[in-house]
Amino acid sequence: MKLWHSFLKEMKLSARGFYFYVEILVAVIILVMILFVVPENFRSVEDEYLFYDWPEGVFEEFVLPTLMEDDLDGKIESVEVEGDDILYPAQLIESEGTRYYIFESEEAVLRLTDLDRPKIGAIIRMDEQSQPYYEYYLQGYETQRLRNVYSIFHILDFDLMEAEFESQEVRSLTDGYLELSDRENIVPAMLTFNGSMMGVFIIAAYIFLDKQSGIIKAYAITASSVWQYLMSKVLVVLVSTILSTVIIVVPIMRLQPNYGILFVLLLASGLFSSTLGLVVASFYRNMMQAFGILYFLMIGLMLPAIAYFTPSWNPAWVQWIPTYPLIQAFKETILVNGDIGYVAWVSLGFFIASGILFVFANARYKKTLVS
Amino acid sequence: MIKVSNLYHSYNKDEHYAVKDVSFEVEEGEIFGFLGPSGAGKSTTQNIMTGLLQLQKGNVTVAGYDVKTISNKMFNQIGMSFEESNVYSKLSAKENLEFYRKLFDVETRDPMELLRLVGLHDKADIRAGEFSKGMKHRLTFARSMINNPTLWFLDEPTTGLDPAIASEIKGIIREQNKKGVTIFLTTHNMYIADELCDRVAFIVDGELLLIDSPRNLKLQYGDKLVEVEYIKEGETIKESFSTIQKEDLDKLQEVIGKYEIQTMHTKEATLEEIFIKVTGRELV
Ligand SMILES: Nc1ncnc2c1ncn2[C@@H]1O[C@H](COP(=O)(O)OP(=O)(O)OP(=O)(O)O)[C@@H](O)[C@H]1O
Ligand SMILES: [Mg+2]
Repeated sequence: MKLWHSFLKEMKLSARGFYFYVEILVAVIILVMILFVVPENFRSVEDEYLFYDWPEGVFEEFVLPTLMEDDLDGKIESVEVEGDDILYPAQLIESEGTRYYIFESEEAVLRLTDLDRPKIGAIIRMDEQSQPYYEYYLQGYETQRLRNVYSIFHILDFDLMEAEFESQEVRSLTDGYLELSDRENIVPAMLTFNGSMMGVFIIAAYIFLDKQSGIIKAYAITASSVWQYLMSKVLVVLVSTILSTVIIVVPIMRLQPNYGILFVLLLASGLFSSTLGLVVASFYRNMMQAFGILYFLMIGLMLPAIAYFTPSWNPAWVQWIPTYPLIQAFKETILVNGDIGYVAWVSLGFFIASGILFVFANARYKKTLVS
Repeated sequence: MIKVSNLYHSYNKDEHYAVKDVSFEVEEGEIFGFLGPSGAGKSTTQNIMTGLLQLQKGNVTVAGYDVKTISNKMFNQIGMSFEESNVYSKLSAKENLEFYRKLFDVETRDPMELLRLVGLHDKADIRAGEFSKGMKHRLTFARSMINNPTLWFLDEPTTGLDPAIASEIKGIIREQNKKGVTIFLTTHNMYIADELCDRVAFIVDGELLLIDSPRNLKLQYGDKLVEVEYIKEGETIKESFSTIQKEDLDKLQEVIGKYEIQTMHTKEATLEEIFIKVTGRELV
């Protein structure tokens, strides 16, 4: 009963306060961003700067027709590319994913590859046996795998490769396992950030408000326990977490998510972040003092999001950060036929961790009410 | 009602004690004054008694509960008015009291009745954040009575209040005491202590120097004082002399012999003067 009344009072306070609306506003901003700024699917167009060092006419006769097959509008555009105040004329052929700029000199490709950083710059020459050979100019950040592909690419017979490629069949192991669109793919990371990690900040802010106004002392001399005080705050954070998650998920994902298991996961992760916030706040007197560690925590907890968006960067230690499985679990909840078992395990893990953190926080607050 | 023996407390857990070897007892039904200058260790002692600070060394029993193993139930019997008001600024005066009411297991008082008692009944629905300092203080004071405490801690209950309200607060304190409530009053204000307290304790630099009733203290230390105004090198000087202490008597005779006396009265020593005499310290 005391917990219930404390919770009601906390809800009243947060509705009249500031942080509650900050959280809702952040959720709305994230929603608007995802809906209107992030495209449904990223269509990234990449540039290739080329120069064919071939005898007059050979390029026009043999290469151009092949390139033109992919061209979107069937026309070659004459353009000029500027670099260091010099205009370099080029012919532009635009295909689905790539813009080919065919320059008129080797120098133009070398200079512009350096300045504009296109995906690739290449000089194509011809040896004594009239076989083409390629000089690639890369940017330096390409992975070794990509470099290897470039170096073996031309040894193989291209027609053979294409035939091989098409004769292979790729089948999914489970039926109906639909991929998420690029836009939907952002949702798990945003949920982890907004729904869960905001909780660390918000609950710490609530605690510091109480510490500064001395209210925490007034509560301490009532016949209510410290755990009830702490739990009432946790519950308020859970309410705003669920609310802000609904704001983001429903308009984007509609009925696709498994809302039941999503709710369980949200509870588990919300409990985790709010109890973590309680523990952090117990060591400091105000937001100013705690800001450094909170900021550090946020950055640390966001690292898995970087790994999530960058498939080639996924070191083992990042997988130990709690938000790593959390992002994956959120993804499973919004996928059609997501792995519910996995989400259940992750939730269980977060429930257990929250329990431990809460017991620790309770002991901390009993000891540090005044000092 | 309260028994404190050999209490020590150090904030940094070292040899610098904020409270040193403090022992005293408060009887049921009395008003006990805890007096001392700023930084003397009054709040520290009080916070240990109410469980806000952990007991480090010594024994403390409050309302029959050992504070080493403090129980929530103890707080059903205790009320505490804080020196710095601490109420929810986003809740109205009435909402504040309504909420605190729910946190006790015993019968509680009607919030409106309490607000009327401290003269805030017409401000019941205004948020405490819009209150003046004095109004917040009165709300904090009213809140401390919500659970009908039998032991009532008051930290500077009248500081910062205008004289009319201060005297009403004093009236409330007397009335509660008449109903049998034991009161532990912490203050710098010797006049209030003198008026209200059955016994007072003087604490300086964490050490308890003496405990006695104001009346006994006056009999013992409050020998008649003579207040003299005289002219010395063109300036009017005002000075008090004891009529018992040898030093003071010699000085008094010297003044009478040497200078032109303007006025000369005898008066009773105040508790404040006694405090200064006993402790050698001003009450700041
Ligand atoms: N949280 C704290 N951390 C460290 N030292 C403290 C703390 N609180 C008080 N002290 C020190 O302990 C001593 C006693 O302080 P205390 O607050 O008990 O004095 P007080 O008698 O209540 O003074 P006041 O009349 O100003 O309220 C002081 O020297 C003070 O500096
Ligand atoms: Mg104090």
